[in-house]
Amino acid sequence: MRKPRRQARFFWFTVFPTLLLVLFLVVYPTIKGFIMSFYDYTIFTFWNPHFVGLRNYKAIFSDEDFYQALWNTIVWVAGSVTFQFLLGFGLALLMWKPFKGRGIYAGLVFYPWAISGFAIGLVWSWLLNGTYGVVNDILLRLNIVEYPIHFLSDPDWAMFSVILINVWYGIPFFAIMILAALQSIPRSVIEAAKIDGAGPARRLFSIVIPYIKPVILSTLLLRVIWVMNFPDIIYGTTRGGPAGATDILPVYMINTVFYENDYSKAAATGVIVLGILLAYTVIYMKVTSFKELEL
Amino acid sequence: MRKSLVVAFLLAFVFFAFAETVLNMVEVFTWPERTKVLKDIIKKFEAEHSGVKINLISPPYETAYQKVYTMISTKQPLDIVEVGDWSLSSLAAMGGLENLEPYIKNWDSVKNFLPGLLDAARTYKNTAYLIPNAVYVKTLYIRSDVLAKYGIKEAPKTMLEMYGMARYITDPRKGQYGFNFRGKGFPTDFIDLVVTSFFDDIDPNNMYLTKDGKIIWSDPRAKLGLELYVRLFKDTAPKDAINWGFSEQVNSFSSGIAPILFQDPDTLGILRSNLPDSAFKTAPLPVGPSGKAYPHFGFSGFGIVSYSKHKDLAWEFIKFFHRPDNLAYWCKNYGVLPPDKTLYYNDPFFSSEKYTGWKYMFNHPEKYQFTKQPIWNKNWGKWNELQEKTMQKVLLGKMSVDEVLKEWTKFWEEAGLK
Repeated sequence: MRKPRRQARFFWFTVFPTLLLVLFLVVYPTIKGFIMSFYDYTIFTFWNPHFVGLRNYKAIFSDEDFYQALWNTIVWVAGSVTFQFLLGFGLALLMWKPFKGRGIYAGLVFYPWAISGFAIGLVWSWLLNGTYGVVNDILLRLNIVEYPIHFLSDPDWAMFSVILINVWYGIPFFAIMILAALQSIPRSVIEAAKIDGAGPARRLFSIVIPYIKPVILSTLLLRVIWVMNFPDIIYGTTRGGPAGATDILPVYMINTVFYENDYSKAAATGVIVLGILLAYTVIYMKVTSFKELEL
Repeated sequence: MRKSLVVAFLLAFVFFAFAETVLNMVEVFTWPERTKVLKDIIKKFEAEHSGVKINLISPPYETAYQKVYTMISTKQPLDIVEVGDWSLSSLAAMGGLENLEPYIKNWDSVKNFLPGLLDAARTYKNTAYLIPNAVYVKTLYIRSDVLAKYGIKEAPKTMLEMYGMARYITDPRKGQYGFNFRGKGFPTDFIDLVVTSFFDDIDPNNMYLTKDGKIIWSDPRAKLGLELYVRLFKDTAPKDAINWGFSEQVNSFSSGIAPILFQDPDTLGILRSNLPDSAFKTAPLPVGPSGKAYPHFGFSGFGIVSYSKHKDLAWEFIKFFHRPDNLAYWCKNYGVLPPDKTLYYNDPFFSSEKYTGWKYMFNHPEKYQFTKQPIWNKNWGKWNELQEKTMQKVLLGKMSVDEVLKEWTKFWEEAGLK
């Protein structure tokens, strides 16, 4: 009789601190942000905010820039995650087979993941600078281009450039996760497939991918959420410019706070982002079937 | 028993002997060298005021205001707050700042302030909520060595002369451009300086109104000014400059890529460490076709938090900071214009050649009429975002000058520009 009670006590003892943190750092701000989105909460009304109903949402939905930011967000997420995944997968496959110096090589590959996104944005904004950036200098010296490319200041190049930076940054995440999953595949299964005459492509599509599918699905789900909520690189390079060409929803939200000091409108944008991500998660889970996600 | 009583007594003695008043202070323009200078002055204050300790909070510049707003809105312990001109109204309106007029009334040094500066600082309800500790006025910086290579010896005196000069030296194949353009990160001052120079009747109390109360953006002269601004970008600046903020501007000036720059005095400190003294100089801002230019006083300063428990001590610090020796140390090392006019005569540093641009402007009010941007308006923050974004659209050819002026006029009509 005593055992279950002790187990329950142990359970609460271990779970309670985490639960408290989640309540304090996630649940409370979410609820507070949701409530705030229906108030007029700006720098001028800090101490006496009043209820304004759907006014903030109406202001957002009647703002042309919001739709541009929404479209940019889709391009940003799709472009970043697709290339991060493909290149990360490729890298994991390359590192799967043991070779001399693999540890050092893996360390170098994972290096970008250790740097803060904003710092990456700043460093790359100098590398890609259209007037005296290193990348342009190399391209000019190698006669690949005649004039410098305005990577971050030409609206036709800007989104491509920030996605490029994000891909460079995000590859290690997929590489780490997929490599870990690959290492869990029993060598005997691969060897057996080889003996049965399966070529590399067949082994990849019939054994490797099905085996690590749960990891792929869960990392893709997580990554889409993270990339959508990741304004650091864009803020460090273009701040959403030029003329809104790289303005994604989180940057739109930050600018609402930093320029307009309108916290309730920013909160309403946050609620919209949350809604989009919830809808995405539900659809994704339905399409991929939730069971697949159980690791 | 006796032993423990002695220990308790000693502990109590130590506690009371070392109990000190702590003033919490937050700075917003955080920059390592600047913070060091501020800390030096704080140390000096602490040395002269035993039992007082100042706890300086230095949040990163980018997020500093949000930190200040959060601290004040949640009434965290804070006594002295640094505020920049653009945020002064917001903080005063939210009730976070103490009215400093009663303190100023009994303060002798106030008579030494640059004429008009304290009035400019009375942004909200015509009341002083801060005492300016640094003055920012844009002036013209030129790379005299770079211009000399093209046979140019004098700084341009008019906006059109500046355009011609910048265009003359621009040669993208050589990586040489003229005007040091600001595309992002609050380009407001740059646009405003060029456009208003086409006017001769700007309201001294509101840069966006003419003396007869008309919004400048709806005036045909604004179109001419903005067209020149667009030409400066298209003909004399690299395309990349649409993405240039402060760092890029300083960098391209230091490297000589864009040798004609409008900037504040704090740039002087950075340039001095990057360039030899002979490589650059300052000159008064070029005037427009009206024969005038309309600079404005930008400023930052210290205010006292309205719920502070140590208001008098906080005022003591502000007074101490404005003592000529401390103020001179601050302005020299941080590279800003002193708010105290006596320093311009008494300190040889501020009468050096590098201050020519500002001195000329201060001494020629017939040409340089100081005015005020409507930073007290609730929509000022929104305006900066709109102006930056729409200006970029114009520069990229996605919007016409007429369209943007119409939008700006509408914005200020709705914002109640007064």
